[in-house]
Amino acid sequence: MTFSAANVVAVGVLGLLGVGFYGLLATRNLIKVVVALQILVKSAILGLILAGYLRGQVVLGASLAITVIVADTIVAVIGLALAVQVRRKFGTLDLRSLSTLRR
Amino acid sequence: MVGVMVVVIVGAIFCALQSMRANRLLVSALWLAGTSALVALAIFVMGAPEVAVIELSVGAGLVTVLFVFAINVAGEEPIKLKPLVPRPLSIGLVALSILLLGWMGMPGLLSILQLNVTFSLPSAADFTRAFWEQRSLDVVAQIVLVFAGVLGVLGLLSDTETAGGSSEETQK
Amino acid sequence: MVPVFVLLTIGLPWLGALLVWWVGNNHPRLQVSAAVFFSVTAGIASLALLFDTSSKAIISVPLGGVFGDFTLIPDGLGVFLAAIATVIGSLAVIFSIDYMRGEAQLGRYYALVLFFIGGMAGLVLSGSLLFVFVFWEITALCSYALISFHNDDPKAVAGGIKALIITQVGGIGLLAGALLAYTTLGTYEISAVLEKSTTLPPALLSFLAFGFLAAAAAKSAQFPFHTWLPDAMEAPTPVSALIHAATMVNAGVYLLARFYPAFAPVPGWKLAVMIVGATSAILAAMMALVAYDLKRLLAYSTISQLGYMVYAIGAGGVFASQFHLLSHAIFKALLFLAAGSVIHAVGTRDMRQMGGLGPKMPLVRATFIIGGLALAGLPILNGFWSKELVLESGLTGGPLWLYLIMVLGAGLTALYTFRGVWLVFYGKPRSTLHAHDAQPAMRIALVPLAAGALISWLAAGPFSQMLAATLPFHKIEASSTLHIAEQVVSEPSTLVALLVIALGLSVWWQRQHLTGLVTTFKGVQNAAIQNFGFETINNSITRAVKNTGEALRTTQTGLLSWNVLGILAGLAIILIILAWGV
Repeated sequence: MTFSAANVVAVGVLGLLGVGFYGLLATRNLIKVVVALQILVKSAILGLILAGYLRGQVVLGASLAITVIVADTIVAVIGLALAVQVRRKFGTLDLRSLSTLRR
Repeated sequence: MVGVMVVVIVGAIFCALQSMRANRLLVSALWLAGTSALVALAIFVMGAPEVAVIELSVGAGLVTVLFVFAINVAGEEPIKLKPLVPRPLSIGLVALSILLLGWMGMPGLLSILQLNVTFSLPSAADFTRAFWEQRSLDVVAQIVLVFAGVLGVLGLLSDTETAGGSSEETQK
Repeated sequence: MVPVFVLLTIGLPWLGALLVWWVGNNHPRLQVSAAVFFSVTAGIASLALLFDTSSKAIISVPLGGVFGDFTLIPDGLGVFLAAIATVIGSLAVIFSIDYMRGEAQLGRYYALVLFFIGGMAGLVLSGSLLFVFVFWEITALCSYALISFHNDDPKAVAGGIKALIITQVGGIGLLAGALLAYTTLGTYEISAVLEKSTTLPPALLSFLAFGFLAAAAAKSAQFPFHTWLPDAMEAPTPVSALIHAATMVNAGVYLLARFYPAFAPVPGWKLAVMIVGATSAILAAMMALVAYDLKRLLAYSTISQLGYMVYAIGAGGVFASQFHLLSHAIFKALLFLAAGSVIHAVGTRDMRQMGGLGPKMPLVRATFIIGGLALAGLPILNGFWSKELVLESGLTGGPLWLYLIMVLGAGLTALYTFRGVWLVFYGKPRSTLHAHDAQPAMRIALVPLAAGALISWLAAGPFSQMLAATLPFHKIEASSTLHIAEQVVSEPSTLVALLVIALGLSVWWQRQHLTGLVTTFKGVQNAAIQNFGFETINNSITRAVKNTGEALRTTQTGLLSWNVLGILAGLAIILIILAWGV
């Protein structure tokens, strides 16, 4: 049984997705949450390009991927800005101590 | 080409894992930059150089700079905190989801084997047309997003510039 | 032009709500002026709509396959209810200028009132069941927030939450009905449901019919869900006049009237509707008889009069029911606003502390009595004509025993109205309360409503023509005011009803001589004070919902990791289901 390059990329998409999800579950630091989100989005970009190839619509996949990259960069910027402001205001980045909901 | 791809993908997943395992935020951000660069390489090998270049410059470059800057401003804090969700539970659930996804995608993945897709470069003119004409809505959305990003950068910067403002707030 | 007016009717109040909120509490004059301006212009827009009704969708926005189209239909039923909402809404806002002067957080108050007015107009103009649901929930939300406007008063908060939860029963029923209709007919359009109702499986149709009856009973405070309305009286009085007398509580009646052609063939449905209406009418009238809180008295009377409308729909008199709705909206808003003037002047709602207030506030007394006479159903006020039409349609379309109950209810109505008027305005002053007549803005609101209570019945003919022309499925007969008046006057049942009403009045005159009778009914009186035990049912619903919410709160940790866990678990479950299905 031989693997084509597309199969390898598909495994990569799933692997990055898993790592990103695991990061969101395991981390308690606001900045690291942003890192985990970045990893998730890398998986999405790779997936878009792959899907474009498999469907024979290479340029469509590529242009969608670019949109995702732009959106993702803005998410990172705003997430980091929030983290910086939160740190300044509350003195911590720990999600647990930031939560104010009654339990 | 399969060999190259295996190395690149395994490297990307390894970097991602390392960035999640790292105990220092700065190290984590650098591993993320590595992941990004390897993903960009994979995209390049797949024959979408425009995307690869943007991913490399924005994803690996700009975002990393922002991370370093933000960590610098916010300060390192020990992040060796116990996860809120029990670790076996999170690993199990992630593994279950990913395996299910893979299994559901299996027929498609197997058909790829028969198809034996070869990646080839589309002409630059095709990409330009698709990006600027067919997806013009996306371009508009991106412009709006960039404005949001500018506001975000201001949020990042306001910390250093309005140091006086912050001390005022603490006085209240 | 019509689409513009439709959009203005809904949009102007909402725009005003935003503006009032944006102006803020630091500019009270500007805030109040904006509220008055936007509510009055919306009222004018809706009145302009009255001259150009149609049964076709005037605005239709496609929202894709899942949500259907968002349509607005200015047909007779919708436009007339929208006009009631906006016109009485603007009068309530004007009344609030004086009534709410000096209160804190008026921005919240006016913004919510305006938001409500727009939502109510949207509810009745919307042609899609899904959006009826959306607007229905908007009105419920505003009602809750305004009942609890004085949110430092635990009674107000409890009353608001009770109203919210009980009316949600109706909201859930409506949503279930909309989804069921969608799954079988593939559309949310009300007109399509009415058109194709005969093709629906009978079991489904009867489920829909009784589900909507429960929804309407919850929203319109009908038996057995009627106990939320008296508790809602903690709201500021203009809100009670607008939401809990003239508009929102009519939404249930509107729903029944709207779907009457589809549900009428369902076996047992018409009788069930009539029984719900009659039970509410008679029980609430008895409770009104023993109430000492002026606003609760009016609330019970609202339940009772809504019972008349529901009863009329069950008996097939959609026109009679809607005509009574119009009369009731006018005279009950008038009664509430006049009561508000009294409460504002004397500072209490307890009628035992009032008495002899008449000479001190002649205008309020005059308008209150006009409203009271209309409520009691004395000729020639609007309440007389519409109540006689309701009773007449009950006699022709329903069983005799229910008709007799309703006639008895009319007598009780006259009795409790007269009792209320007497306790407030006549007799010896029972405490040294300082009273003054209505202030200018209050007068501006009271006088048009009093005039309306006197003459709105003259619109009966055009009203019937409008409904007949734009409601193709309801088969309403167009006729002229003169013809309707002749019909009412020549009917012997009118005489019967008038006699019973007169009997009710004479019972109050002769109350000293009837002490024996009073003691006989002591048990009934005590039961009425206890709300006939239905309070416990409604309270247990409220408590169950609250406890469930409290129990579910542990799942809302606000922690990202747990939320992501939930997302992942959901993904895994969907994948498992998909894998199973393939």
